[in-house]
Amino acid sequence: MTLIREEGAVKDRFTRADTLDAALEIDGPALVPLTIAADFAKARPGAEFGISVPGSTPIEDVRPHLGGATLVAVEFPAFADGRGFSLAKKIVREGFAGTLRASGPLIADEFADALACGFTEVELPETMANRQPVQQWLAARATMSEHYQTGYGRGPSILQKRLAARKGA
Amino acid sequence: MAKDHRAGSKVRGDRLPAILMASHLLEGDTVFLSDGGWTLDPTAAKIAHDAETAAVMEAEGKAAAAANTVIEPYLVPVDLTDDGLPVARHFRDAMRQKGPSIHPDMGKQAEFAPLD
Amino acid sequence: MYRYDEFDERFVRERVAQFRGQVERRLDGSLSEDEFKPLRLKNGLYLQLHAYMLRIAVPYGTLNSAQLRQLAHIAETYDKGYGHFTTRQNLQFNWPKLKDVPDILGLLADVEMHCIQTSGNCIRNVTSDQFAGVARDEVEDPRPTAELIRQWSSLHPEFVWLPRKFKIAVTGAEHDRAAIKVHDIGLKLKRNEQGAVGYEVIVGGGLGRTPMIGKLVREFLPKDELLAYLEAVMRVYNSEGRRDNKFKARVKILVHETGEEEFRARVEEEYAKLDGPTINAPDEEVERIAAYFAPPAYDTLPEASQVLDQARAIDPELDRFVEQNAFEHKQPGYIALTISLKEIGAVPGDMSADQMRAFADVAERYSFDEFRVTHAQNLVLPHVKKDDLPAVHAALKAAGLASANAGLITDIIACPGLDYCALATAKSIPIAQAIAKTFADRERQKTIGELPIKISGCINACGHHHVGAIGILGLEKGGRENYQITVGGDATEHAALGERLGPGIDAEDVPAAIEAIVETYLAEKTGEESFIETVRRTGAEPFKAGFTAFVESRAVNSEAAE
Repeated sequence: MTLIREEGAVKDRFTRADTLDAALEIDGPALVPLTIAADFAKARPGAEFGISVPGSTPIEDVRPHLGGATLVAVEFPAFADGRGFSLAKKIVREGFAGTLRASGPLIADEFADALACGFTEVELPETMANRQPVQQWLAARATMSEHYQTGYGRGPSILQKRLAARKGA
Repeated sequence: MAKDHRAGSKVRGDRLPAILMASHLLEGDTVFLSDGGWTLDPTAAKIAHDAETAAVMEAEGKAAAAANTVIEPYLVPVDLTDDGLPVARHFRDAMRQKGPSIHPDMGKQAEFAPLD
Repeated sequence: MYRYDEFDERFVRERVAQFRGQVERRLDGSLSEDEFKPLRLKNGLYLQLHAYMLRIAVPYGTLNSAQLRQLAHIAETYDKGYGHFTTRQNLQFNWPKLKDVPDILGLLADVEMHCIQTSGNCIRNVTSDQFAGVARDEVEDPRPTAELIRQWSSLHPEFVWLPRKFKIAVTGAEHDRAAIKVHDIGLKLKRNEQGAVGYEVIVGGGLGRTPMIGKLVREFLPKDELLAYLEAVMRVYNSEGRRDNKFKARVKILVHETGEEEFRARVEEEYAKLDGPTINAPDEEVERIAAYFAPPAYDTLPEASQVLDQARAIDPELDRFVEQNAFEHKQPGYIALTISLKEIGAVPGDMSADQMRAFADVAERYSFDEFRVTHAQNLVLPHVKKDDLPAVHAALKAAGLASANAGLITDIIACPGLDYCALATAKSIPIAQAIAKTFADRERQKTIGELPIKISGCINACGHHHVGAIGILGLEKGGRENYQITVGGDATEHAALGERLGPGIDAEDVPAAIEAIVETYLAEKTGEESFIETVRRTGAEPFKAGFTAFVESRAVNSEAAE
């Protein structure tokens, strides 16, 4: 797996575990499926953990865990499945302040969109990272410097910039 | 999904003889596998008369797709004219061999000898 | 019309560079074909039967002469000297090379054009009324709304990987010329009882495999809440639209399967959570855009034109052209003029580079440098002085653009069909040509009157056959092309889906079958009824009977021939 952020590749602090038993054996933060998150939190009070949720998950199912988890990994089954982008927006709207991860075979051309929807990082399978190395992700992110949509991305939208320019004039 | 639209697969009966048809990645033109690589000329297409040859040609097509030379190669069942030229048995593939019916001045029919 | 500012300009330039990079990464293998395909589609680039096809966005169908001249230049330099206007008010080139596409995009950017989202599973180019800003029955010009949506939907970070394509249409008029009830979202500008302007919002219409008329989800949306409300609809669709079956992935299926009430509730629930003011366009921005669509500097003229009346009296061809192709303008002394791209025997919607240049000159000189593309694959000169009509007609005639058949039986919509399209199951254009030739006689056309025929070469319905007064759908049956015929379809405010008349027939029988249907109409009509009005009154039954009789007579004839 390769983990990519805006500034480049970073090391993954989390270890994935599919079962509670496996999760309890991990040193350091565990990344567990939503279904065992509650049991894990109970078994390891205070331990740092992340939850893994498919992009199709309703926000109602994710909401109860957003207070405890420091990482939410939204799973993309395919690069063309955009549900994860909407789920990210909803998670951010809930006030989640931890790390939001897009996980799956995304392509570099989606990096800017993922960041704009609130993702902090992208976790790529190695096969994808070999074909589209980190440099391509950073370059793809920088291709478009402006966006029209207010409420996405960090900088002001084109509509906001126009308004500011008019008020400044 | 594109596979669903490949008309060649809808042809009933014999799958042979067959030719291998694809699109050129960089140009977009319809191309045919010949003895000497890919050709734009439908009359120069290599004809598979037996399943072994067809399988070899299909593998060659897959390799060319993997090498980013062509897109969507597939075997096209053909009938042979008296001159031994391959004419696709399905009207969709035949359209690709010729060019648009509404523009005889465009496509293969404008550039190459007729198949039939 | 709208002009780019520095932001719009930079946006399309960067988009060109982005696509150039994507092509390079496809060629070096960084992007697989499966990955590149949706990226190229989102830039309007298809792979068709013989070549790539590039679909250029004509936002809400509005163009100027400099843009058309550039399109002529591209047609001659990179294509085969012609372009094709589509049923979504766009323009397609049928023979570009992948290696040339980045350069073509650069030339388009030079004249404030692009191919953004003319295909792919994203919000497509927004369409509108071809008589926007002209029609007398307009509450408000729909183009500022359409332009705002164009900007908002361009490379929307959240909605570029939807379950399926998504089409939005806007109208500001009572009479719906934008077919809003058969779009994923249809917007109609209206006034509420207090006199405030807002939108009626219709969701879940569409044609294709499962045609449906859209459902009213919001009776009145205040105008300044548009973008937030669209965001709510899109988020519900992106999250919940089906992704397990391509043929059930459109929002119409979600609305249908969820139920109208429940869908509306989900949209409103999402909408209630949104912080509207942070999403919606500021008033100043809406006003900035609207200012570009202010009426041009019309002369103050009397309604009637003596020059035109006298010219019509001595030139029957001009008289007929004006009678058939003119549309009433709200400004006295002006008319809007439909330019039919349906010369008998021609390819519907095709225009040569020479015609483009000639037409650009006419638009520049006689229509405030502006023209429109219609979803019927015709063009419109929106603001022509009646006094200028004789000169305009002469110039159009010299360019082969003066067919006086707008709205008549020979003004046929046809998708490219099997002559070009990789999805097609049957030819479409040759059917249109054969029907037009059958009904070429002017008097006969005039007797038949308004009769929109729409032809699609596959179930995807790019030719809008479901909403043709006569619809023709080409399919493959038993290794042959086979055509199903419907009557009673309507894309206007009376939106209706056509009803099938009987079994499919062979291509060569289609013109005679249409003649049989027309005979039924002429026998059934009362007074001044148009074809669609007659079908609405009588239902499809008499037409089925006539069609069945035709099919049986054909069977007898072919037996006799054997």
